[in-house]
Amino acid sequence: MNCSRLIQFPVVVIVAAAISWTAPVRAEELPEWVEFNRDIRPIFAQHCVACHGGVKQAGGLSFVFEKLALAEGESGLPAIAPGDVEHSFLLERVSSEDEDYRMPPAEHGPALSQHQVALLLRWIEQGAKWQRPWSFVPPQKIWPTTVSNNEWCRDALDHYILARLDVEGLKPSPEAERAEWLRRASFALVGLPPTPEEIAAFENDMSDDAYERVVDRQLASPHFGERWASVWLDLARYCDTMGYEKDPHRDIWPYRDWLIRAFNADMPYDEFTIKQLAGDLLPEATIDDRIATAFHRNTQTNTEGGTDDEEFRTVAVIDRVNTTWQVWQATTFGCTQCHSHPYDPIEHHEYYEFLALFNATRDEDLDEEWPRVTVPTSEADWPRAAALDERIGELQREIHEAAMTVAGDEAEWHDLPIDQAKSTGSTQLRIVPATDEPFTEVVAEGTITSGSMYTLEAPLPDGLSRLTAFKIEVLPTDLVAAVRTPELGFVVSRLKAFLHVPGQKPRELMFRVAFCDEPTPALDPNDSFDDNTEGWGDYTKQNFPRFAVFLFDEPLEIAPGGRLHLELKHNRIATGNFGLVIRRGRFSVSGSDEWTALLSSESYASARRELEEAIAEREEIAGTSIPVIEKQSPVEARRTFVFTRGNWLDKGEEVLPGLPAELPPLPDGTAVNRLTMANWMASRENPLTARVMVNRVWGQLFGVGIVETAEDFGTSGALPSHPELLDFLAVRFMDEHRWSVKKLLREIVLSATFRQSSRATPALIERDPRNRLLARGPRQRLRAEMVRDQALMLSGKFSPTLFGPPVMPPQPDGIWRSVYSSAKWETPENEDRYRRALYTYWKRTSPYPSLMAFDAPSRDTCTARRIATNTPLQALVTLNDPAYVELAREFAERIMAARAEPREQIAWAYETAADREPRPAVVDELVRLSDAALAAFDAEPESAKKLADTREKFALTIVANAILNLDEVLTQ
Amino acid sequence: MDLYSHYQHAVIKQATRRHFLRESLAGLGGLWLSGQALGATSPAISHDARQPLSPLHSPLAGRAKRVIFLHMCGSPSQLELFEHKPELTRLSGQDCPQEFLQGKRFAFIRGVPKLMGSVYPYHQAGQAGHWISDRLPHFEQMIDKVAIIHTMQTDQFNHAPAQLLIHTGNQNLGYSSAGSWVTYGLGSENENLPGFMVLLSGGRFPDAGNSVWGSGFLPSVYQGVQCRSAGDPVLFLSNPDGMSRDLRGRVVDAIANINRETHQEFGDPETVTRIAQYEMAFRMQTAASNALDLADEPQHIHKMYGTQPGQESLANNCLLARRLVERGVRYVQLFDWGWDSHGTGEDTALNVGFRNKCELLDRPVAALLTDLEQRGLLDETLVIWGGEFGRTPMRENRGGAEMPFFGRDHHPFAFTVWMAGGGVKPGVSYGETDAIGYKPVKDPVNVQDLHATILHLLGFDPANLTFPFQGLNQKLTGVKKFRVVEELVG
Repeated sequence: MNCSRLIQFPVVVIVAAAISWTAPVRAEELPEWVEFNRDIRPIFAQHCVACHGGVKQAGGLSFVFEKLALAEGESGLPAIAPGDVEHSFLLERVSSEDEDYRMPPAEHGPALSQHQVALLLRWIEQGAKWQRPWSFVPPQKIWPTTVSNNEWCRDALDHYILARLDVEGLKPSPEAERAEWLRRASFALVGLPPTPEEIAAFENDMSDDAYERVVDRQLASPHFGERWASVWLDLARYCDTMGYEKDPHRDIWPYRDWLIRAFNADMPYDEFTIKQLAGDLLPEATIDDRIATAFHRNTQTNTEGGTDDEEFRTVAVIDRVNTTWQVWQATTFGCTQCHSHPYDPIEHHEYYEFLALFNATRDEDLDEEWPRVTVPTSEADWPRAAALDERIGELQREIHEAAMTVAGDEAEWHDLPIDQAKSTGSTQLRIVPATDEPFTEVVAEGTITSGSMYTLEAPLPDGLSRLTAFKIEVLPTDLVAAVRTPELGFVVSRLKAFLHVPGQKPRELMFRVAFCDEPTPALDPNDSFDDNTEGWGDYTKQNFPRFAVFLFDEPLEIAPGGRLHLELKHNRIATGNFGLVIRRGRFSVSGSDEWTALLSSESYASARRELEEAIAEREEIAGTSIPVIEKQSPVEARRTFVFTRGNWLDKGEEVLPGLPAELPPLPDGTAVNRLTMANWMASRENPLTARVMVNRVWGQLFGVGIVETAEDFGTSGALPSHPELLDFLAVRFMDEHRWSVKKLLREIVLSATFRQSSRATPALIERDPRNRLLARGPRQRLRAEMVRDQALMLSGKFSPTLFGPPVMPPQPDGIWRSVYSSAKWETPENEDRYRRALYTYWKRTSPYPSLMAFDAPSRDTCTARRIATNTPLQALVTLNDPAYVELAREFAERIMAARAEPREQIAWAYETAADREPRPAVVDELVRLSDAALAAFDAEPESAKKLADTREKFALTIVANAILNLDEVLTQ
Repeated sequence: MDLYSHYQHAVIKQATRRHFLRESLAGLGGLWLSGQALGATSPAISHDARQPLSPLHSPLAGRAKRVIFLHMCGSPSQLELFEHKPELTRLSGQDCPQEFLQGKRFAFIRGVPKLMGSVYPYHQAGQAGHWISDRLPHFEQMIDKVAIIHTMQTDQFNHAPAQLLIHTGNQNLGYSSAGSWVTYGLGSENENLPGFMVLLSGGRFPDAGNSVWGSGFLPSVYQGVQCRSAGDPVLFLSNPDGMSRDLRGRVVDAIANINRETHQEFGDPETVTRIAQYEMAFRMQTAASNALDLADEPQHIHKMYGTQPGQESLANNCLLARRLVERGVRYVQLFDWGWDSHGTGEDTALNVGFRNKCELLDRPVAALLTDLEQRGLLDETLVIWGGEFGRTPMRENRGGAEMPFFGRDHHPFAFTVWMAGGGVKPGVSYGETDAIGYKPVKDPVNVQDLHATILHLLGFDPANLTFPFQGLNQKLTGVKKFRVVEELVG
């Protein structure tokens, strides 16, 4: 009652000041302490942020960002003056009776209710304490209040469930029968049904730790990793093709296998996170660490002719940013690509600060999907391969550094004053003499013909008595603009030089070796010396000037009147037949003895020798080459600019790598790079990472997460059904389980909550149709992969083989028909026909239809949760898909081998599939079906034999087909 | 087969739908509700929670009740069909002026290409005297029924992104196709057939694959179902060899009986849904097979369309489209591949491959319009025809060299789309391009305008057909401004 008096006073003041309440809000309807996240943020979100939010900030006012909400608006009056009701302009505007004055304006929405106004008032009165969005506040373990039945609780988590049930006046359901729980737990942990033997053993195990031992056995199963990798593959948008129009094959399955191994090894989730985001930057990165980075190479590569590689590189980088936030932070960070976040405190420029972390990687939408790493087929070779890769890198850097020391002596380079320049095709070459600039330039103009070959001529510079090196520098035509958006690059696929001295036969000059400005170039200048190789260049886009130095075989004494003739072939093209030619080139020569000294030095020679040996040894190790993430070397490192309104062609201010200000910062003095960002994601201080993962696991086990919108923990997402439980699990996951996913799963699967029977009364269904309160055990349809895996198990054909390239189980003809692709779907007759569903070849433009029917996503982009549907097309799959019909027939053979008498056969089949003894009515029904099938066989035996060759087998195939379609069998 | 009594059937159906909605639509419940809580005003589509696929009355009075969208994959040349440009013919062979090249990006054209006039002669046709080339003699008989948009614009000049844009409103993957939006908004009129069906011809998939008929962020029940010309007309429609329909009925019967027992025991409403879905699948097996079988069409119809049953052809698909809309399918999407007339070879040459494609297009499309009209369906069926972009007034010079055949590059700045039937004002010629057909000089129509106009014709306020996803009330028209092109509305 005291409280009531307190609140009435200011309400009355307002009544007098501005409005007349017809029905004043009763103070006891208001919470004693008005909490921003619970009481105020929803009001702002519903009524205000459309105009005063992240996208629009009318009058300079935003209710998304605390500093803008509490500042004086453009009106000069504070909207919110903490503790000062009278000077808080907001209250006057929202409560005014004058429709022209009141906020929100009538055309934008209804006025605030009196209750809402009263909440705002009390909140301001109590000091207008702002809060970060709930999910930005670090999770804290808060023990639930006492519960009605301590006995029931097996695990701490059960207290939270029961506490809520107590409030709702509900009781938990009885414990499930052992077989029911075991079926559910088996799908949860290994994604497969238990075998009848496993059930029998468990049912007969009366020891105290029977449940624990079953769970531990399943956690140790190699199939555990397969089941949980399949969840992560949706997040990683994993596919076996590159996407877009041609959708060609991509070898990236070693990443899928990495996931399986990581889950099986129970790699702590923090480490799992860091490796996928920045494994390449770890000190002494292993092959394994580099495979992990393929997580972000599952973005699509556009190989369609005439597409701009920079455009689709940008699309891939944006995808990496959005996916990272989706997967680890359940934040709709993508909203800030075009403007500040409409509801959550993330600003537009922060998007690009984060994007800068991913922008300087070496991949650039190339058909070749560089950079790649060759993963040795035999895991035993991995350490050696990694050591060789490391050593190759070191030697390349060592040699490069020595060469760059010499090349860096600018005084030694003499302009080659080109006076003749010709090109084949319609490409026009113009010579810009060295008047303003120290170097003569050759500029390509007009319609560039691909494959253009340049012939350049120049007198040798005066005052130079001998030549040791030749240098090509290639510049973007617009140096300033290219830094922001790169120009088409160039590739010198073949370089030839000739010396013309009057009275002598022209002589071709041979090169010994070449260096470019990058220690580990994708295109090596040494490949410009013969006709069969790739050549040197910046492929296919160029941001900055680039150079390469070519050393002559022998120092060359210059005769008077000597002229240098150069031939440069540009055979490479970008998609769409764009010629990659030098558009702006400078050419120079050096007579420095330093080059001769370098080549003859022992350190150089031994490094070169060792490098060649190491490369040869590495190439001998057979393996699969997969795309990975690698950072760019400093000379090519891209800079990042804000995209104005999200348009990549309209770049604004430059930004440096950074993390959003509303989330905890990195430790002082830590540079922001991809590795420190990954550590930050995986840190104890990050309020989201653990919550998002425990919610994901919970959602897998119970069908719906504690936060239903597993992809969005922001203001626009759903609130947690059990906030304290979410925080408890998150804190425990980090502090006690040390990020162990297996420990987290063990705890949940053994909880009293998960052990409940899923039987529900109509009253409970009415009360809680979606089982958010968990007064009963979860009952979910199997995931797409489980539908197939279970059928494989029942058929007896299940292949337990782990890992390896994707497989092609039976699929109707004509599914694969993508443009410009001759790839074929060929189903083998060996065990690969029966591998687990997660190994099925996943082609982006035409994924495996029966998996799609059961709600597997196309994996075009990151999918944080599958939404289960129940459609007739699913029925058609399990009834008629030849793959399922085949498995039903195999199941029938198994039934025949197991039991002899028809009724027993049917009972056995049902029990094997549903993991429980059949009720007599069920057996009766299936026996009648079997009889009908026998009659059908007898009526038309020739036709029936197309399904199965004998009466008995035919009838059992029909029965098996029915069993595979039973609700109980499709459900866990 | 004796599955249920009539009464039981009705009860189950209701329960099914109610639950279905909870699990799929409102399975996004948090989003849905919080979307509302955000003041993003409640979505304009208020589904009867029990019937997500039932026919709905659109909020405004729409003339069109269903859509047939004929997409010519690769993008046909508007300059060889609908864009009469004598000035371009006059300038043919001259260098393209710099103003048309500066700062522009093309897929294959390099440097300075040559202008190229139409390969085919033009004449005027119909009451209004619209200019049309000599490639579509049958279609021009119907020209007074159609509204031609000369000034369609897109901002994508590569096939896959441009196809995604025109079908999903976004050039990136992951968005919902127009067909799924319309099915979400209007439901289906025939529960034994999918509400959104897709027919392919030309021998290849659209460049962007099946994402162009995907449901994106909408529940998967709204995605397009691809019909097939070989094998099962819809995947897994037919019973396995050796299993009769009677026996299949017995199987479904047994499944239902056991599932009902299961429901007794566990009380899971999903089980009831499953019973109904199996029954629907069983009915769909015949309904879809019948709908997609041309055998019962009379000879004069086959003659009119030029159909040959069993073949994969645009003609067959036009006739199938009519059969599907006749049966209440809401959105029928045709893709005909092979219109990418670059001139790199005979099949993509304007004077060879393109000519053949026109012959395969002309008769069936004219027949479709005629047939729909004769059956009184045209008034309620919106027919749309077009590609993902247009073709350049310049001759393609791929690799910076003259090519052996006549071809044109991708042209996003102006192309032709036509619409007919369902509320469209017939005989309209909308928009005007410059003398060489490079860009609009009057009344440009961009992709979101087209989408808005389609939705408007179906009776929606395009701003209010929304679905909450990732913090935004998503719309087919996206976040950019759009306008309904009122001049096209009858």
